[in-house]
Formats: sequence, C-alpha cells, structure tokens
Amino acid sequence: MMLLLAALLPALSVGPADADAVKLEVPKVEYRINEASASRSPWIDANGWQILRAPARRYYYDVPAASVALAAAEAFTYGAKADIHTDTGGAAIFQRMLQFLREIPERELPTMANIGVIDDGSEDTGELMNMLSRRNLLYRIVTAPDPHLDLNIRLGSKEFPKSEAADPSGLAQKIRAELTDEKRLLRVYGSEVVIARLVGTGDRVRIHLLNYANRPVTGLRVRVLGNYSNWQVAAYDKPDLKLEDFRIADGATEFTVPEMSTYAVIDLSRRSGSR
Amino acid sequence: MHRRDFLQLAAMASASAATATDIPKYRVVSRFAPSPKPGMPGPFAGKAVRVHSEKSVDSATDRVDEGTVAEMLSRGMRSLTGAKNERDAWANFFDATDVVGIKVNCSGAPKIYSARPVVGGIVSNLIALGIPARNIYIYERFQDQLSSVRYDRSVPAGINIIAAETTRGSSASYDPNTYVETNFFGEDDTRSNMIRLVTERFTKIINVPNMKDHAASGVTGCLKNIAYGNFSNVARSHNREKTNTLSFIGTLAAVEPLRSRTVLQIMDGLRGVWHGGPFSEDPKFRFYPKTIVFGTDPVAIDRLLLDVIENKRKTEGALSIWDRSMDNVKPGRLDPHFGSFIREPGHIEYASHLGLGVYDLKQIAMTNIEV
Repeated sequence: MMLLLAALLPALSVGPADADAVKLEVPKVEYRINEASASRSPWIDANGWQILRAPARRYYYDVPAASVALAAAEAFTYGAKADIHTDTGGAAIFQRMLQFLREIPERELPTMANIGVIDDGSEDTGELMNMLSRRNLLYRIVTAPDPHLDLNIRLGSKEFPKSEAADPSGLAQKIRAELTDEKRLLRVYGSEVVIARLVGTGDRVRIHLLNYANRPVTGLRVRVLGNYSNWQVAAYDKPDLKLEDFRIADGATEFTVPEMSTYAVIDLSRRSGSR
Repeated sequence: MHRRDFLQLAAMASASAATATDIPKYRVVSRFAPSPKPGMPGPFAGKAVRVHSEKSVDSATDRVDEGTVAEMLSRGMRSLTGAKNERDAWANFFDATDVVGIKVNCSGAPKIYSARPVVGGIVSNLIALGIPARNIYIYERFQDQLSSVRYDRSVPAGINIIAAETTRGSSASYDPNTYVETNFFGEDDTRSNMIRLVTERFTKIINVPNMKDHAASGVTGCLKNIAYGNFSNVARSHNREKTNTLSFIGTLAAVEPLRSRTVLQIMDGLRGVWHGGPFSEDPKFRFYPKTIVFGTDPVAIDRLLLDVIENKRKTEGALSIWDRSMDNVKPGRLDPHFGSFIREPGHIEYASHLGLGVYDLKQIAMTNIEV
C-alpha cells in the first residue's frame, strides 16, 4: 500500500544538489501554439508520475520564482523528498507555501485509483503514467494485477501491446474508454490544467488540486464518487475560500472551487461533526 | 433534480449526409421542467417577418441610420404580432415584472455584431413597458468581444452589460447543475454548462443574432447564437475537418430553461458576412442585406438565412455551404473556394426534429416589409 506522507515537506536548498538526487522538470503549462499535437489539451510539464515511480528517491527542482510555489506543492502532493533551488525572489514565495503546507492537517491515507499500472521501468510506461496523470485517470503502481482495481495495465500484454505506446495520448484514450467515465473516482471540469490526486479510504478522502497554469482557475467543478457530506478546504493564497454548489447525487459528491491559484486541498468525509 | 438521458438518433431524419452513428450520445442535466408553451418555437411557429430598408445602412461608410432602424423595429414587431401599436406588440411578450436578457452576438466584433441601434431600440421598448433598467441585461460569453462594441453608448445608464467569461475559459458564471455532457473527441472536460444568468435571473430572453456564414455550422443565425452563446466549453465540438454542430446546436438550444425563456428572435441582418464567419477579419467578405427578421421560431428564420448566405456565396463564386468534399477542406485558409471544416448547415433541420421550429419552406409564412 502506498501511503502519502503528508508531513513530508520540501526543503529550500542553496547549495549544489545531492549527486544522487533526480532533477525534476519545472512544473508548468507549455502553450505550444504552432505545434501539431495529438489532442487539443495544453502541454503540461508535471512530475507526479516520476515521484510515484520511485518514492524513496531524493529529488530536486531548479525553478524560477514564478514556479517555486507549484514545485513545492507538487512535491508535497506526491510525498517527495525534494530540495528546491530557486532565485532570490523565489525564497520568500517558498516560505509562504511552506507555511501553508505546514498548516494542512496531517493525514496518512492510501492512494485511491481506478487503474493499476505494472511498471516495467521503461520510458514507454513512464510516458503512459505521465499521460494518465495529466488526464486525471487515477492509477497506482502495482507489481501484479490487482483485482480490486477496475483496470490493470501492463505494456506488452495482448490488451496493451507495446506498439500502442508510440501514441501515448491515444493509449490513454483507449484506457479511458475501457475504464469508462462513469467508473472514474474523480473528474475535474472547467480546466485542462489542473491535475488532481486522490487519497483516502471509504469514509474520508483528500483531494489535492494542482494548477499548472500561471493564472488562477475559476469555477473549477470536481466530482468524486461516493457520498461525502462534510468538507474542509485549504487553498494557497485564498484563506477564506469556501466550496460552492456542494451537491450529493447519484452516488457522487460534486462541488465548485470558485477560485484557486496554485494549490488546494479538500478533505471530504462521510461522518458528521468532522467539518 | 430532473434528469433526462437520451440518445437523439430519432432526430437525424434527413438533416445531412451524416449517418446516425455520427451523432454523439448526449446527456442533458437540468432541474427545469419544460414549459407547456416554450418560447421556441413560440406562438408564431413557421412565421417570419422580414423588414428591409435600403437606407438602413450606408454601404460606403458602414453607418447605420438609427431612425430607420427604429422604424424597422416598429414595423416588424407590429407585423409579427398583429398589434396596432408598438407598445402592444412588445407587451405580447413582456411585462414590467420580467427580467430580460438580450443575447447579442459579438463574435465578429469590432466589425460586425448585433448593431447598437438595434439593441438600443429593443432596450427602449422594454423600458417603455415599465421594465426597470436594472432588470435588463445585454449579455454575451466573452468580455473582450462584448466590451469592444460599447453598448453602453446606446442604452440608458443602469442597463446591465455582462459577459459570462471575463477571462477566457473561466467557468465561474455557468450553472454547475445545468449542462449537456458528451465526449466528442476524447476531451476530458465533457460538460457544457448553461450561463447562470439564464437559469437563475432571466425570466425572458431576446435573441439578436447576425446574418453570417460559419465555417463549421454553415451559417450562424438564431440557433447557433442561442446555443453556443449560452453554454461553456463548446469549441470542443470541432476537431480537424469534423464538427459536431449538426446535432450539438439543436441539443443545446432545446435545454431548459433556455428553450422556454427565449421568447423572441430579432435577427440583425443590417450587415452580414458571407465567408470567414463567424469572424469578420477581411472586409471583402462583408455585405449589407439591410434587413431585420422578426419571429419566435428560430428554425424558420435560420431556414431563410441558409438561402441568403448560400445565394450570396454563389454570386461570389464561393464554395457551397452544402459541399462535403474533403478535397475542399483547407484549414486556416481564408479562401472562399475552401472550407475549414465539413460544414453542417443541416443543424437547422436537425433542430426542427427536436421541436424547435419549422424547416419546410412551404410551411413557412414570410411577410416582406419595405421601409
């Protein structure tokens, strides 16, 4: 069982990176206006899949001030042991994000997923996980097919031949079609640049929302399978944020995040009195 | 919450060369029950009043004559309703208790849009009925387009001029509980939500489209303006040469409460676009029909629009809006001999099968008035 260690906070680093640390990309949206792409979705540089693949490793980011808050939030979301290098302007932003992360109630909750990915360590499987993350197709890495999951994927199997890895976007679509949207534990509407991570148990779940764009997202609608009547939200730079249009119907809970900048954490629970 | 899940294969009929398998599965979610007498097609199904005036716009200067437009509005509304005076004509649809949304079209702005004298004239007539300025809204989806028109210069202070998306892509002003869900091309956001003002504020809506060619839907008139203009996340219906406007436009227009509350159609055809629509980047594709069309039936009015645009394109030697050859699809080229998509002018007939109006020309009663 993979646990999200909520207390694992990123650190600001001023010296050279550890020799064995893995450098991560600057998290961001790349608007490739003049390039053909397999889908209309904007290109997102996100590192969650890489951290999930090797959670015990040490990572480092080298990011400008504009990306430091997102880098810290991303590392926290995926429980990475991460050092963050940034410029002078970024240090204050990092401290502000760190303060925010410290105030998030600690929870040790397992990853929730629809899909199991049997990771052979290959680039192709890595890119597939990247695609699944970007499309909020929730997965966890398994060593063998897990019958509790809706779908298990091993690249190279009869169902998912290696040749299909040449088109990661198309492969992600195939996986989505086989899973079906109805079964998806979590959906995000109103933005293509927000990546979600869901952890929890049957009674309580935590949703991490990371906005990879450099501007706020407004009116984000989130749907989580399950009936959760209580909520708590913490949003970076939005201390007074409240969820709106909260609704439970058809076996799912929906709500709107009216505005978020870089990062928001929503805790949902079934029990009364946990708000 | 009232929920309807349905597959609209039955509506296909002969709407286009597309096959039934091309029609996506739509899930319509709305808590609003259909009205026994929905605004579309309304009390004047199969009827259109076309008012033309040669002096309404100066083709050389592009200047609209306000006095002539006021007269065209008066004559058109009286003819449509059979009322003896202007006030009674407007009172057919509205009273002082209404909150009225005027759905303008600004996608061709700053060159072509629901003309200020037309919108200003509508506002004057609503105020004359005793509707307070605070209960009148001029609205559009995108702030940048709406702001460029400066409707504030043509209406009294206090009229609301509001865009749903102050920044492109913002979902905050849409109703999370009223939407159409469908997956066209594998996009992850599969919902198109109705503007919240429509579901929560307006009691009536006046639709004021232009007369334009449209690269995806063939033409853009009443149906396209009321459908794509009242929902979020609709551009996803086009990809490469394929567009789902055939079925999506009518499906959106039929969602409650939009269908019931849209009670009047006033198509501003003073200016028009015969190619490159819905935008108007190149002046050589603009023309001047000098016409305003009145009705409650969006299908009937759009059926007439099909001929206006097709005939103009024929005159100019342009590709027919009905052409479905891939050889003539060249995305990104503003060349009237090619298209960016396989156009879907069949969306108007499709909408008729959803009960939104009368498509058959033989059953459309058209009145022509010259001012």
